[in-house]
Amino acid sequence: MIGGTTLLAQGLVSESSLLTAAPSQVAQDDSAAPELVAPELIQRYCFDCHGDGADEGNLSLDSVMTAADPTASTVDDHQRWWKVLKNLRSGVMPPPEMDAPTAEEQKIISDWIKFQVFQIDPANPDPGRLPVRRLNRAEYENTVNTLMGTRIDATLIFPADDSGNGFDNVGDALSFSPILMEKYLDAARMVVREAVPTETKIVPLQVFRTRDFQYPDGRRVRRDLDGKQSHQILRRFEVAEPGTFQVDVGIKLHGSFDFDSARYNATFSIDGDPKLERECGWDEYKLFEYHYDVALDEGEHQLEFQLDPIPPGESEEVVGNGGTFVRFEIAWVRVEGPAGTTKLVHPRNYERFFTRDQPPEDPEQRRAYAAEVLRQFATKAYRSEVPEETVQRLVAIAEREYERPDKSFEAGVAEAIVAVLTSPRFLFHLEVAPAYDDQTSEPSVLISETALASRLSYFLWSTMPDEELLSLAAAGKLRDQLPEQIDRMLKDDRSQQLLSNFVGQWLKTRDVIQKDVDPLAVLGAREEYEEMMAEFRRRFRRGGFRRDAEPTEEERRRRDRFQELRTVLETFDEGLKRSMQRETEMCFEYLLQEDQTLLDLLDSDYTFLNDRLARHYGIPGVQGGEMRRVTLPEGSPRGGVLTQASMLLVTANPTRTSPVKRGLFVLENLLGTPAPPAPPDIPELEASADQFEGKQPSLRELLAVHRESALCSSCHSRMDPIGLALENFNALGQWREQEHDQVIDPSGELISGESFANVVELKRILRQNHATAFYRCLTEKMLTYALGRGVEYYDQQVIDAIVEELEASGGKPSVLITGIIQSAPFQRQQVIDPNAWSQATSVDDPKYVSNSNFPAEDSAVPTVGSGEQGEQ
Amino acid sequence: MSRSKSQGHRPSRRVKKAAAMDRRSFLRGMGVSLALPGFLSLGQGVAANASSTAAGGAAGATTASGAPLRMAFMSIPNGVQQKYWFPTDDFQLSETLSPLEEVKSHLQVISGLDHINATAGNDGPGDHARASATFLTGMRARKTAGADINVGVSIDQMAAQHFGDQTRFPSLELTSDLIRNSGACDSGYACAYQYNLAWSSPTTPVTPEARPRQVFERLFGAGAADERKKNFLMRQDSDRSVLDFVAEESRSLQRRLGSYDRRKFDEYREVVRDMERRLKAAEKFSEPPAVDAEAPVASIPTDFGDYMDLMYDMLLLSFQTDSTRIGTLLLAYDGSNRTFPNLGISEGHHFLTHNQREDQYATKVATIDQYYIRSFARFLKRMNETDDVDGQSLLHNSMIIYGGAIADGNRHTHENLPVVMAGHAGGALPTGRFLQAKKQPMANLFVNMLNLYGVDVDQFGDSTGRMDDLGV
Repeated sequence: MIGGTTLLAQGLVSESSLLTAAPSQVAQDDSAAPELVAPELIQRYCFDCHGDGADEGNLSLDSVMTAADPTASTVDDHQRWWKVLKNLRSGVMPPPEMDAPTAEEQKIISDWIKFQVFQIDPANPDPGRLPVRRLNRAEYENTVNTLMGTRIDATLIFPADDSGNGFDNVGDALSFSPILMEKYLDAARMVVREAVPTETKIVPLQVFRTRDFQYPDGRRVRRDLDGKQSHQILRRFEVAEPGTFQVDVGIKLHGSFDFDSARYNATFSIDGDPKLERECGWDEYKLFEYHYDVALDEGEHQLEFQLDPIPPGESEEVVGNGGTFVRFEIAWVRVEGPAGTTKLVHPRNYERFFTRDQPPEDPEQRRAYAAEVLRQFATKAYRSEVPEETVQRLVAIAEREYERPDKSFEAGVAEAIVAVLTSPRFLFHLEVAPAYDDQTSEPSVLISETALASRLSYFLWSTMPDEELLSLAAAGKLRDQLPEQIDRMLKDDRSQQLLSNFVGQWLKTRDVIQKDVDPLAVLGAREEYEEMMAEFRRRFRRGGFRRDAEPTEEERRRRDRFQELRTVLETFDEGLKRSMQRETEMCFEYLLQEDQTLLDLLDSDYTFLNDRLARHYGIPGVQGGEMRRVTLPEGSPRGGVLTQASMLLVTANPTRTSPVKRGLFVLENLLGTPAPPAPPDIPELEASADQFEGKQPSLRELLAVHRESALCSSCHSRMDPIGLALENFNALGQWREQEHDQVIDPSGELISGESFANVVELKRILRQNHATAFYRCLTEKMLTYALGRGVEYYDQQVIDAIVEELEASGGKPSVLITGIIQSAPFQRQQVIDPNAWSQATSVDDPKYVSNSNFPAEDSAVPTVGSGEQGEQ
Repeated sequence: MSRSKSQGHRPSRRVKKAAAMDRRSFLRGMGVSLALPGFLSLGQGVAANASSTAAGGAAGATTASGAPLRMAFMSIPNGVQQKYWFPTDDFQLSETLSPLEEVKSHLQVISGLDHINATAGNDGPGDHARASATFLTGMRARKTAGADINVGVSIDQMAAQHFGDQTRFPSLELTSDLIRNSGACDSGYACAYQYNLAWSSPTTPVTPEARPRQVFERLFGAGAADERKKNFLMRQDSDRSVLDFVAEESRSLQRRLGSYDRRKFDEYREVVRDMERRLKAAEKFSEPPAVDAEAPVASIPTDFGDYMDLMYDMLLLSFQTDSTRIGTLLLAYDGSNRTFPNLGISEGHHFLTHNQREDQYATKVATIDQYYIRSFARFLKRMNETDDVDGQSLLHNSMIIYGGAIADGNRHTHENLPVVMAGHAGGALPTGRFLQAKKQPMANLFVNMLNLYGVDVDQFGDSTGRMDDLGV
């Protein structure tokens, strides 16, 4: 605690002298002391409504202001002042019709709140207390795959994590339940079965799956193949010793839940010689196995699969529509041999877990070797040192298993690895608490470099630290080399995780794929389409379209129109949605990689497109399916998050746009000034349509009705102008000039006073005038994500410092990320008197309220019934 | 019901249709060969009167005949279209409820119940999150975006904590809603409130399972029918040794965490202890039941009705095999904006409920309400067609609550909630009536249910007493 605040806390120094004493945050170019100190400014600007007995919006500042010692304020007061700070800085308060403090005065008030009320010590900010939190689903998947060399998809195993403060890595929201523990057990077993060899030596065996194949042009193949398209995929492999090889092929046929009638031929060949030809179709993960003995020479050979769709026969009914599919998956191609070889080898992945050529025979030595192997593995898995007692427990598990008659040494180790993967040391982000000494302890200390390596890695990669980070940490050099390491990490492919996990939740690109919007309804053609469908079905039942008779003009026109609508339906598929998702993510990625200003997210003259998305946007000249950076044509309204289909889509209602939700999205995620949710029992938007006497009102007219009420207008006048400026984009994100035959009027005025004619001008205003708010919003979001906890009032100074640096740099992503990584909450941990724990959990902060309903640590849990009483 | 398609041949159309049918209702007509283990012998429970037995008696979770007594809860989102929902005074079913006609004599519709803790109070907006959280707890959710979530223990979990040890699984938590929106949930409430019905402690939601295949494997073991039992037992043995290890690790770790905020870690320890207890308890069950059915496919049905049916089937199967006696099924999270294209409804459910002043929207809401009821009715019919150990039907030996903690989705009211209570609780519960109860907390009904179940409480959630009108 620095001298200034302490003295002030005792009422010994006046506020103005505090302001000069508080480092860094006081406007230093002001040589003269400010004329008014904060309390007087607050009285002047706020008390008309919130003081002298007035308590508009249930906020009265009287009691806190007049208290002799403002630092004695309670937690509730902190929360209240934090709200004051937010509303003041965002310009929400004072309201437009009232006098507002100047920028300088605003700063005086902010500083007073931060340094005096919150008692923040800028030289040594409180890092806060991180809850012990578990790996979330994405982190678990990545960590296991990195550690074991597997490729599991955790979304198929685990339920989605609950999120808190907008992110699903926030510790307080990540709960544990028996079903989750069962899943950790199951997943660990599955992974171990796949990754850990249970034999020492085997006949050489090579295994290939779908993903190990390539198209002739070198493109990688995904998990499985679409049976409705032609494919030719290849895999080369080496044979070291000639002879007879056993080739086992396992193929899996699957499809959508509902039946799809599509059929196709599949051919499998070795070195161009067809071994298997069969017809395939829809099935439910059915596995078909085939076996061949093949003579192979030394040298290179090639496996090949070819799929060819079979066109439906004349008389056949086609079952299935856009929603159903058929898939072909190569579960395995195993090439084993040559038969009778003496050159046995380790199975795949052996060296990942075992260090010797083979395990010793002597029981004592076996135990020692098991300890060596398991210590090495657990150290990596736990991202920290492993106590010897843990190693011994693991050895006991391994021994129990490998001493069974039919089990190998390796199988024993595999069982112990299951235990490692279910251990709290693996499943939780754990950092050892610093020792406490009531004489010498500072309020906080730096976290260990190993812990820092972990925090860094989970922040930027959502996975465990790699060798380089760990060895730097072990040598105590990670802190010295942070800038280089951050740079390296951001250039690494694993930083894609930052896009799907951070951007995915911040800008909600994760929600794009599952977003349920009816494209026909959006275009106002749903009813027309249904009518046509009904008509066609009637006709089909009467014997289908007759080919012999020449269709009339009317029939042809209707058929064309039907085709057109059908195309709309089919075009709006997962592929297009994925492009939308990628557009937003790639914009962020581009800024990160090029260290370009983050303000490009608000407005830019480029974006990322492929042919389909460009067509969707009406931008000519983009060919091919690859997403790439495209400089927008002159006069294009696109560029920036506001005009990206991802944002325009996720904020939509299923059949139409929602200007309110769009406005709210911008306030919440870009400007950091969320509007409170609407009060219950509000009249519906459409209900106000009565006032328009039969004329179909535009959304703008409807919303205007809303804003007539003072209650509504306080928030809607912030949201609606932004949302209405985006009305030129329909719920699918396409440009439009009209809705309901009325020309859309996108003009408006922001609550801050700037007026604009259209979205292009709005974007420019946001970029030019609201950069600070945007920086602060983004900093808060990213800090939340990096720490895995919500930001608190005591983080305000840390955030302000980063925002200032961002402003000075013109918005460089490197400054933001480095700022967060170098900040106190990321680098430090609190030192707390363990004896004071129980008090600390209840008195000081709403976060730490202990829960009296929850069984206390180690107390017997009431089990009733005939079961045994709780342990301990 | 093998559906092997002859390799290399095109299946006839009949086969194709059959395949699609089988998928929809994999349980229908399946030859369940059930070795039902662990049942109390019939009559054993008769001596001890269920409702008066203090916790600990063997009579909990059994009917008067000694057969297992089941308890299940289904939650629907966004309230119901009021005009079309409630039956007439003389118990003529409304149009929405009409699919229940066939099982009408086995259920009662109840009005007059409230969940006051789902109202705004001082907490402002967020009725949907609050409704989910309150539905089975009767408690007010603490308004928080992440830190310190807190509501209350739910009725199913309370029952499970008393008598869950009588079955292999204390309870089963299911959902037929996979949709998760990223970012914040309803109006500043943590998402945990919205996506979970069951709470094992005021701070610990019990995550529901959304994948039918996983439910099946959890109940009966993975693999083909003849391997399941072996796999199930092997897993149990390995679980024991792993959990021993994990428990020791947690104990030694806990000391080192000194100053950290350990609540989440404590939760983990509690789960480990819970599982150890459960494994211990499992020793008294000889073997898992052999179920002849094919495991459901790994994918999730694209049709929402099929999906709900499949999850209902899982619940039925778990009851039939006495794997558990307590279940919750979150049909869709409250606030769900699901569209129903197969009903010709492209507007979102939540959106529609807020526009019910217009008739065209109100009828669409009613159509959706009926759609949910239809799946429920199908479940009840199957429960009614399935024999229990005492010769009665499963439905007879159950008490099943269907409803939600929002009454009118338009105005977000939480009074006079739509509630269907099905089953006779082994003969204890009157049925075949429209019970217009006096206005009271829904938690009063929960007190009666807990008592019927053998849990000796006189208070639950915000209850003001027992629900006298119920008649038991």
